[in-house]
Amino acid sequence: MSFPNPAKAVKLVLLGEAAVGKSSLVLRFVSNDFQENKEPTIGAAFLTQKCTIGDKTIKYEIWDTAGQERFASLAPMYYRNAQAALVVYDITKPASFLKARHWVKELHEQASKDITIALVGNKYDLVEDENDGDTLRKVSVEEGQKLAEDEGLLFFETSAKTSYNVNEVFVGIGTKIPESSAPTGVQQAGNEAGRIDLTTGAASTTQQTSGCC
Amino acid sequence: MTSLNKVERRKSVAERSPSVSYTPDVIPHLAGLEKPQAHSLLLDECDVLIMGTGLVESILAASLSWQGVDVLHIDNKTCYGDSNSTLTIEQIKSWCQEVNGGKIQHFEDAQVYVSGELSLPTSKYKSKDYGIDLTPKVMFAQSDLLSLLVKSRVYKYLEFQSLSNFHIFENDSFAAKFSNPTSKEEIFTDQSLSLVTKRYLMKFLKFVLQDNNDEDKRQVLTENAKVPIEEFLKKKFNLEKSQINELVYSIGLATKESSKTPEALARIRRYLTSFNVYGNFPVLVSKYGGPGEISQGFCRSAAVGGSTYKLNTTLVDYDPSQKVAKFSDKSSVRINEKLVVSPTQIPKFLQTSYNEITEALPMKNINRLVVVVKKDCKEWMSNSESSAVVVFPPHSLPSDNSKGIQALVQNGGSGVCPDGHSIWYLTSFEQDKAKAKLDLQSALDKMEAAILRESSNNLDDVLGEEDFVISERGTPVVVNSVKLGKSLQNFVPKEKLEIICKLGYVQQTYVANDLSNVLNPTKDNNVTLRKPKDCGEIIFTNMPSAEISYDGIVSECKTLYSSITGADDDFFDVDFEDEDDTFDGAGFHQQPQTVSTIKANALTDDENAIASSDEDDHNEPFGANEMEL
Repeated sequence: MSFPNPAKAVKLVLLGEAAVGKSSLVLRFVSNDFQENKEPTIGAAFLTQKCTIGDKTIKYEIWDTAGQERFASLAPMYYRNAQAALVVYDITKPASFLKARHWVKELHEQASKDITIALVGNKYDLVEDENDGDTLRKVSVEEGQKLAEDEGLLFFETSAKTSYNVNEVFVGIGTKIPESSAPTGVQQAGNEAGRIDLTTGAASTTQQTSGCC
Repeated sequence: MTSLNKVERRKSVAERSPSVSYTPDVIPHLAGLEKPQAHSLLLDECDVLIMGTGLVESILAASLSWQGVDVLHIDNKTCYGDSNSTLTIEQIKSWCQEVNGGKIQHFEDAQVYVSGELSLPTSKYKSKDYGIDLTPKVMFAQSDLLSLLVKSRVYKYLEFQSLSNFHIFENDSFAAKFSNPTSKEEIFTDQSLSLVTKRYLMKFLKFVLQDNNDEDKRQVLTENAKVPIEEFLKKKFNLEKSQINELVYSIGLATKESSKTPEALARIRRYLTSFNVYGNFPVLVSKYGGPGEISQGFCRSAAVGGSTYKLNTTLVDYDPSQKVAKFSDKSSVRINEKLVVSPTQIPKFLQTSYNEITEALPMKNINRLVVVVKKDCKEWMSNSESSAVVVFPPHSLPSDNSKGIQALVQNGGSGVCPDGHSIWYLTSFEQDKAKAKLDLQSALDKMEAAILRESSNNLDDVLGEEDFVISERGTPVVVNSVKLGKSLQNFVPKEKLEIICKLGYVQQTYVANDLSNVLNPTKDNNVTLRKPKDCGEIIFTNMPSAEISYDGIVSECKTLYSSITGADDDFFDVDFEDEDDTFDGAGFHQQPQTVSTIKANALTDDENAIASSDEDDHNEPFGANEMEL
């Protein structure tokens, strides 16, 4: 069992205020055809999704905050070796945009310097039919663009509901991630000094827990 | 199997806990994606409150959440790990202040020096480039915690590296007799040993690896249950002091003299059965920090399983009649079942109960000295490795240490400090604190002299004829490690070791050094099983043990788990799934080395163990079987 062209593993972390649609965004990306009743994976460490861009394949390992951001309790482990981050806000909620600024700052402090960050204004579906008049939109495209420019971020407005621009976010990140970026991803191949994969040895020493293999 | 008393009240966790496999009613969303809003914004009750995010508490939180128990997990610090934290240098500084201000129970006498270089704005190195473990540990490849890491998928959040070099200090020099062996036999094929000695060693090896249920072995163990290991090795296998020291202190990582034979043998066996599980090394270390990092991994798993996390929060008050807990952030939460309290996080109103519980228990001091030096100490490590263990047997140092000293050395490759630097964690098991300090300093001096000599650019200056010795029997002449072998007596270093940070402290614990009261806990010997008189919902956890491995951790978790749910038979009884297992297992990583015949034997042993214990996680920590004898 070997893959001719191994996908490059990229650790991607999600940040953003509660209820801005972080999970919907990722679910939309991970299950393109949006199966309502897709069996949840019990205890998966993180979501994974492969994404082919030109001739390279990226395997995103998507880390959700698992609620640990709610009381400012994200562990250093969360940011460690993250090569990409999505900072998500809700374009109808100004407070969530303020919070996005906070997360960008936090990433600059905690994450590695060459991390690729995408700023994502979600819930575009709520404003796309509106004219210029009374609008639900509270964060303008320009504000988002400005923050992205100031901080060197990619910028997208998306709708997880209609899937508008969702794939573009992940393709955009994949394109921007430096090709030569150090093999620091958590699932990266074992050419790093002394790196041990615990599944290989354990497979022969522990009992199988289930009959599906 | 269930014989629980039904009473007219909400079923307790114990009652709700079925003995057969169980799937939580509400399967958490994918990989912990946001929980339903109501729950996230309004937390007004939980089943179990856990205070302190140390390793044991974190594993407990994960095990409970995966059985559908609502856990609120808090910590009075702003970082994870509690007594197991991995701290930056700035965090170490404020930690020391808190310790000396009496704010962290069971830690005392903290002293810290930090090089001025670090505070210079132009400095290349920053406080957060360093991760110092308060409780440094190494993990045996065949151990219950490692099995649990794999089963729970928590290993996916971590990176593990191998550690194969164990150095031992004796006769005023360091020997690395067990450097880079490629098989279990080779561990003992030090070329300076005579054939006769080798034969005795192989005989001993065979004996140790023999199935513990073997009748002859059982009998030998029973007969020697009270015999000191040194005497046993000498009488039964004709081994000499040098080999005995290596077996007991280096391979066995014993901390004191005259360990009882069964315990010491279990420790030696632990090393041997761990060897070649993942490759030619017995232990692993987690990158970026030890227990601090693993705690974070289990906390994340717990969060994915549904636990709520609040750092920088303390319990202010608890009303047992209403079961309402009030917190420092003014929130109050109803605790339906139990409160699990780490000894460093005891609220004032519980202090008396804790004191009563612990009054009669013998307390041990663990003296630590941590030094961050500007040397990568590559000389002590295998190629491509970034950690090593150095042991000082009793009476090996000029300070005439009566207890052993163990040191873990890790350099930049393990992610705990910048490249070119290393962290030395020295631990003394001496109970007299003043004496322990002398011993630690003495060991540090020897390590300093050794590394300066070995990293000296001009080897001709330091290597002489005396590096090549003839053994007493006139047999092989090669000193095993040419660079490490020389006596240090005459070496005068031309440079001084540059120190970035030096930290000393004393930690106390009620866990016995041989882990006996963790592996076989009773009401009389273990804090966790001693219930406070006036408040049955409170369960205290133990301070970390002095043990350099992770042995005992899973046992502690299971004791806690049983105290809460009534039994531990569904501890982590969850079929974790992976998105695509095949990808991860597909030849990307280092594969296990060729399986030696001895490994095959070792595996057979373990299979017997499974058959007899009928347990999923059969990799018991050392002593579990032998203790019963």
